[in-house]
Amino acid sequence: MSRWVSFGCAILLLSLFLHASFSALEYQWNWESALRYKKKFADGWIATLWISALSLFFAFLIGSLATLCNRARFLPVRYLSMIYVELTRGTPLLVQIFFFFYVVADAAGIQNRYVVGIAIMAIFSGAYISEILRAGIEGVGESQLLSARAIGFTEYQTFRYVILPQALRSSLPALAGQTANLIKDSSLLSVIAISEFTLNAQEVNAITYSSFESFFPLAFGYLILTLPIMRLSRSIENRLRFET
Amino acid sequence: MQPFGESVNGVMRLFSFLPDLSKISICGFGIALMFLLGCSKGRDTQILVVGMELSYPPFEMTDENNQPTGISVEMAQALANRLGKTLRIENIPFAGLIPALKTGKIDLIISSMSRTEERAQSISFSNSYVHTGLCILVSKNGDSHSIKDIDQPGAKVAVKQGTTGHIYANANLKNAEILLFDKESAASLEVAQGKVDAFIYDQISIYLNWKKHSDTTRALLNPFNSESWSIGIRKGNDGLTTQVNQFLADYQSSGGFDQLGDKYLSEQKREFKKLGFPFFF
Repeated sequence: MSRWVSFGCAILLLSLFLHASFSALEYQWNWESALRYKKKFADGWIATLWISALSLFFAFLIGSLATLCNRARFLPVRYLSMIYVELTRGTPLLVQIFFFFYVVADAAGIQNRYVVGIAIMAIFSGAYISEILRAGIEGVGESQLLSARAIGFTEYQTFRYVILPQALRSSLPALAGQTANLIKDSSLLSVIAISEFTLNAQEVNAITYSSFESFFPLAFGYLILTLPIMRLSRSIENRLRFET
Repeated sequence: MQPFGESVNGVMRLFSFLPDLSKISICGFGIALMFLLGCSKGRDTQILVVGMELSYPPFEMTDENNQPTGISVEMAQALANRLGKTLRIENIPFAGLIPALKTGKIDLIISSMSRTEERAQSISFSNSYVHTGLCILVSKNGDSHSIKDIDQPGAKVAVKQGTTGHIYANANLKNAEILLFDKESAASLEVAQGKVDAFIYDQISIYLNWKKHSDTTRALLNPFNSESWSIGIRKGNDGLTTQVNQFLADYQSSGGFDQLGDKYLSEQKREFKKLGFPFFF
């Protein structure tokens, strides 16, 4: 009961704050013209949803692979993975999008901008995921690995029953955060004319000259994608807590 | 003993039914609220704030020292001098200019903006000072010669977001797929690489982009419609509209536009004469 009252209090304060901000602006609301373009919002939201979903899948694939390569015994592979992670994390996504689309994809003859867009997002997020996984694995104490060897676990068994559950649990919050980031970062794909949520909202903005009437649905649309991910991550975290 | 211990404790006891963290956050919110409500809307009336997108040479651009320069900037300066005000240029993306004007962040838009019906519904316009039209950049080996050739099923047409090219394409292209770009350079690169079939923009931009990619693109420089550039003014600001219109008339008759044309566009003027197309400035 008191939890709900506190929650309501927080929401009330927040709405007071927003109300004060907007009454200071004297903004003329014009929801009708923005509402006429609701199909554009819906189409964009769906595009963002599947672009993010596919990118996420490949990002985990690339990220896990990079983590494995980072532990490889053959040194060139290890350095390659290191260079990939550092270059990708150290340069702006905007530059990467332009570079991959107009230079790499053009040379490779890939014309479909959606394919290139998903590949760019997967490569970009993969670097972050790889770092998160690496930190999780390295966070498992040396003594546990020694204990595992002492009771005769094989390398696979050590990985499956000692390293993986702990690494996964400790890296879950960061992974959920990275997933939310991927969804939001996909908005940058608008610069190569991928018709996703942000670009469509900007188009409504440009056609109707309404700014907040298209930005609020935009914020809300991203929230309904990112909030469930955060909740899901919390609940998995709690389940894994009992296992270890 | 701390000198303020007693009184601070007294204040804190008032809030003691709340846990510690929430006290801090409520104080934070309170301060932010007061700050917002206390902010006065007034701005210095001696400053004329002009909004433009500084990525449209030679009208709106920046020089080597990152200072605004170009035809529109000199025009704005002359207008500010006439009104007896200090000029401040705000660099705002094209699609954001009208919202900025509507919310009072800027006083005027001088950004090579064409007067259209849709725009005139949300802002006022001065009399027009330049007449131009939309042209098309196509890839070199294509066989398009007019806007009709481009509007085919399966064709892809690039436009810059919020420009008249965008508005025209939305209203008139029934068959082609329209792709939106934020940057003019990206749109022309798409034509040069053959990723899209055409790019619709105004005459001078198409000409300049064609010069940049002359071995991969072709420019159709005969405008297929006509439009005119005006200065954007907030609705209801009739006093300023009259002043701006007077300024434009005087600037025209005193040869201000011709001087700017000679200074910034003499090369293009000669080229257009050679090509046999009407030049707009």
